[in-house]
Amino acid sequence: MKKLIIIPAYNESANIEKTVRRIKERAPEFDYVIINDCSTDRTLQICRENGFHVINLPQNLGIGGAVQTGYLYGYRNGYDMAVQVDGDGQHDPAFLDEMAKYMIKEDLDMVIGSRFIEKKGFQSSGIRRIGIRYFTFLIKILTGKTITDPTSGLRLVDRKVMELFSEQYPKDYPEPESVVAVIRRKMKVGEIPVIMHEREGGVSSISAKKSVYYMIKVSLAILIERIRR
Amino acid sequence: MNIKTQILVAVIVLLAMAALVNMIRKNKLELKYCLLWFLSGVAILVFDCFPWLTTKLASVMGIGQPINLLFFAGFCFSLLIIFSLTAAVSRFSVKIKKLTQEIALLEKKIEGMEGTKASDENEK
Repeated sequence: MKKLIIIPAYNESANIEKTVRRIKERAPEFDYVIINDCSTDRTLQICRENGFHVINLPQNLGIGGAVQTGYLYGYRNGYDMAVQVDGDGQHDPAFLDEMAKYMIKEDLDMVIGSRFIEKKGFQSSGIRRIGIRYFTFLIKILTGKTITDPTSGLRLVDRKVMELFSEQYPKDYPEPESVVAVIRRKMKVGEIPVIMHEREGGVSSISAKKSVYYMIKVSLAILIERIRR
Repeated sequence: MNIKTQILVAVIVLLAMAALVNMIRKNKLELKYCLLWFLSGVAILVFDCFPWLTTKLASVMGIGQPINLLFFAGFCFSLLIIFSLTAAVSRFSVKIKKLTQEIALLEKKIEGMEGTKASDENEK
């Protein structure tokens, strides 16, 4: 069974080495590929010097476009599973094996690593948790499914979802919207508890100013996704 | 409207349309995206040559001042053109995204091939 880790990286020169080293240590049965989203720092040079597997986007596409490139790569190269692991050290690759086993055991199409099932590790700030709970509520109303951590980037998907994502994937803040897209197609989504860390360097893509845009955009996107044919 | 203003407006519109055609001729503009501009030029010319049309149309639509009809129509038309640009930008952004991804994946593939080639040569 071929399993791929997709690492979207935009200006992650401080973390990328550590992230890859950790993956090699804690998830050796996974292949990995870094998607360098046209970083302006030394991310690409570091990858090349260390001989990391890297796909280099010639233009900046944003997180959605970068991760989608990873799904395209995985789908075309015959991978059975693909999982997104952020390059900033928040996601611990030690959970990947467990996620893969859970997917096979429960016959799921998508497994989300959730911070909020056991409420351990980094829980995000209070105001963000309220936002996340709101999305959980919105998705519950629209699809009837409870997703405790709809904004989690740590998500393992099978080939069916990989195919869907390589055709359509939101440009920015893709997580909640794409979960709804998967549920709407009657594919099965499950969650297992994971422990996430606080980011080890760089800054979150969602600043205070952008969070208003984030809430409105993602809410609308979820609603529209629900009424797509 | 005075005959002088009528002539002035007609001349301006005709000059603008000539400029438009000239730019299309030199391949600086895509005809497809200029059709709306042509249409607006023609509409202005029609209303310019037959001012009574505006008066008539305004009274039919219940607009007191004919000039308000012109403002309103002009505003709607501008919105239409701007919206068509938004639609075009959305289309292009999807196309550019796909191209970027394909280029990146191709580059990766080529790298892989060169890698295997190099190792083949090493074995020799």
